[in-house]
Amino acid sequence: MKSATSPGIRFLGIRFSGTRFFTAALLAAAFTAHQAAADIKVGFIGSLSSDTGRSTLRGAEIAVDELNASGGVLGGQKIVLIPADTGEDVTEGIKAYEYLAESEEVDFIVSGSIDDVSLGWIPRMREYRIPTLDTWTSYIGIIDMVIEDPEAMMPYFMNIASDEALATLYIDFGKDVLKGQMGWNSVVILAEDTAFGGAITGLVTDALAPEAGIEVKEIIKYDIATVDFAPIFSKAQNSGADFIYLVSSVNSQVVSSQYVKLQVPMAMTGVNVSAMGADYWEDTGGAGGGMSTLSPVPSVGFKLDPVSQAFVDTYRARYKDRPVMPHFNGFNAYHGVKQAMAAAEAAGGFDDVDAWASNMKQQDLVLELDGQLWLRYGFWGDDEVEPRTGRKYPHNIRFDITEPYDEASPSMVVIQWYEDGTTAVIYPKKYATGEFALPSWVK
Amino acid sequence: MDIGRHHLALWAIAAAGLFVLPSLVGSGILRTLILANYLAIFAISWDVLSGRTGYISFGQPFLIGIGAYTTAILTKRFDVPMEISIPAAVLVTMVGGLIVLLPALRLRGSYFALVTLALMELCYQLVQVIRPDITGGTRGMSGLPTLTRGASNGYYLSTGLMLTIALTAWMLMRTRLGLALSAIGMDEGAVQGAGLSPTRLKSFAFLASAFIAGLGGAFYTHYLGSIAPRALFDITFLFTILAAALIGGSGTVIGPILGAFFLTFLLEWLRPLLPGAERYFVYGLVALLLYMYQPAGILAIIERVRVRLFGDSRSG
Repeated sequence: MKSATSPGIRFLGIRFSGTRFFTAALLAAAFTAHQAAADIKVGFIGSLSSDTGRSTLRGAEIAVDELNASGGVLGGQKIVLIPADTGEDVTEGIKAYEYLAESEEVDFIVSGSIDDVSLGWIPRMREYRIPTLDTWTSYIGIIDMVIEDPEAMMPYFMNIASDEALATLYIDFGKDVLKGQMGWNSVVILAEDTAFGGAITGLVTDALAPEAGIEVKEIIKYDIATVDFAPIFSKAQNSGADFIYLVSSVNSQVVSSQYVKLQVPMAMTGVNVSAMGADYWEDTGGAGGGMSTLSPVPSVGFKLDPVSQAFVDTYRARYKDRPVMPHFNGFNAYHGVKQAMAAAEAAGGFDDVDAWASNMKQQDLVLELDGQLWLRYGFWGDDEVEPRTGRKYPHNIRFDITEPYDEASPSMVVIQWYEDGTTAVIYPKKYATGEFALPSWVK
Repeated sequence: MDIGRHHLALWAIAAAGLFVLPSLVGSGILRTLILANYLAIFAISWDVLSGRTGYISFGQPFLIGIGAYTTAILTKRFDVPMEISIPAAVLVTMVGGLIVLLPALRLRGSYFALVTLALMELCYQLVQVIRPDITGGTRGMSGLPTLTRGASNGYYLSTGLMLTIALTAWMLMRTRLGLALSAIGMDEGAVQGAGLSPTRLKSFAFLASAFIAGLGGAFYTHYLGSIAPRALFDITFLFTILAAALIGGSGTVIGPILGAFFLTFLLEWLRPLLPGAERYFVYGLVALLLYMYQPAGILAIIERVRVRLFGDSRSG
């Protein structure tokens, strides 16, 4: 019989009763045993506190549950998902990748990392050679690495259109709408100082001016920790440009809501990652109207095919906290994890990376809406040249940046937030559900 | 120099134990040990200055950053081999730190601490405005050359470096010079009264601290293969260094090592149980409780246990 005055066990200066201590030890052992019994381990790397990271994680969770419910993979093996938080920090990202590779010995990694974090862990991926799918990072420099060193980058796949493709289609928007419809001739670029910001700025600067006939008056870089944008907006106004082109992937709701609250008398469009999610309106306290942003597909305001709609329905039923609707990378993770598993089935597992990669390249999911191609999850061939940009995109998702977009999904759409909190896709026309609109205070 | 044979025997046993470890543990543990080794180096570098002289410095990330950035820029932008860039990084850290931070040693107490804290923040701002094409701006740099591949090699390198630094610092602190540095922390006026120059002594402590920080920063950067100012010039990084030294036992060499190993393993062991940011809360709470329970650190707890078990039979 246990005595009430049992001395128990002291641990870190805290006295535990013997029963409690051993119960805790048993729970820890059971947890370890559960991990050890896992057949296929999928690692998630990304921020667990950002909508971006959580979208990928949840997309992967739903895919894993559906695969397990349908009997598992590779001869009935169950899949276990192991998350590793990066906190959107490069050093933490490297530690997280090492943890997944060395401590958890995962078979496959799905990433919801931002560009800089991916760049940090890519050398580790090359070292461990773990098949890895990036669902958010769109940095073209990584695709260039695949071209330059295909053997070392064999395990890497990116199932979002790289930023060159995003920018190219956005230039069409510039020509057709910003220049053609609105008559704007000059722009000031307001870009965050990140790999993403640098890449998009470079592409827009080099291409928007000559192709769309819009002059770049000034480029203003800002730190992602900036909280007061008033001086930055003043500088933008002083540039004399017709509109602001925003490039923001981190804390975008801050710059957006300040733009509205300060009633900056210039139109602002560009890339605003927080505006790609349904939580944007609440995040800005209803002060996010009049913003438009480029978004990879699918996005808010985007008509969904039945398969993607079923995924969203499952997502909404399962998760009650933010993000209330998955961002585009949630869809990418959902379809991408299933494709990675299908490739592993064909390759006999993940161990032979070359065989897995070869089969991953063959994956091709076409999703139709009203009898026409709507979304496509396939990859460019190693030697295929994309006709419009004249370059190769090995291991990158197949996209179509030429009307009528019947080969694959467009690399992006432009979405519009209206001042009543509603959203619509406004470009390209094939996918449009609404019209481009300026904030009411901009004349 | 007050060094007995049993001291050297203990160091030899510790070194031997650390060097056979890769054959006993998995590579996941080795990766954690590598991070612990680098944190131990940073904590020792802080302790050599602040733990001894009592001048609390918040500028350690600044010194580590100079070393890390120097070697990163030299290797990445100018293709300088690491054999040259790392010694150069150490030199630049010492000289750069001396120019910027040494005048602050004239200040005392919280004024000195505040100046060093400001330097860390200043450095973060500087990388954005001074040639961001070279420093990488707030993004930093990735794709830097690495010294080793694989957990074992990285472990041996970091362990060798940490042990060399620790042993050198330990031997130094057992000389009369080391004693004088500790005396500054107790009563600077008395040191001056004894005919010694506190300014020279503090300068020496600062240079030694900068040497270790620069060396550690350079090796750490080439272990990670990237450098990010948000991770380097950051209050969390500073807190981790200070916590390692204080929780382990400041004013000693073994204490910061114990603290670094404890904190690093605590954080990594919490990862599977609390994968999100919650683990930092638990980590901070444990660190706080431990420090409140025994302000002299883990080393004092171990010492107390040793005395209880074996009696106060310490000699030498």
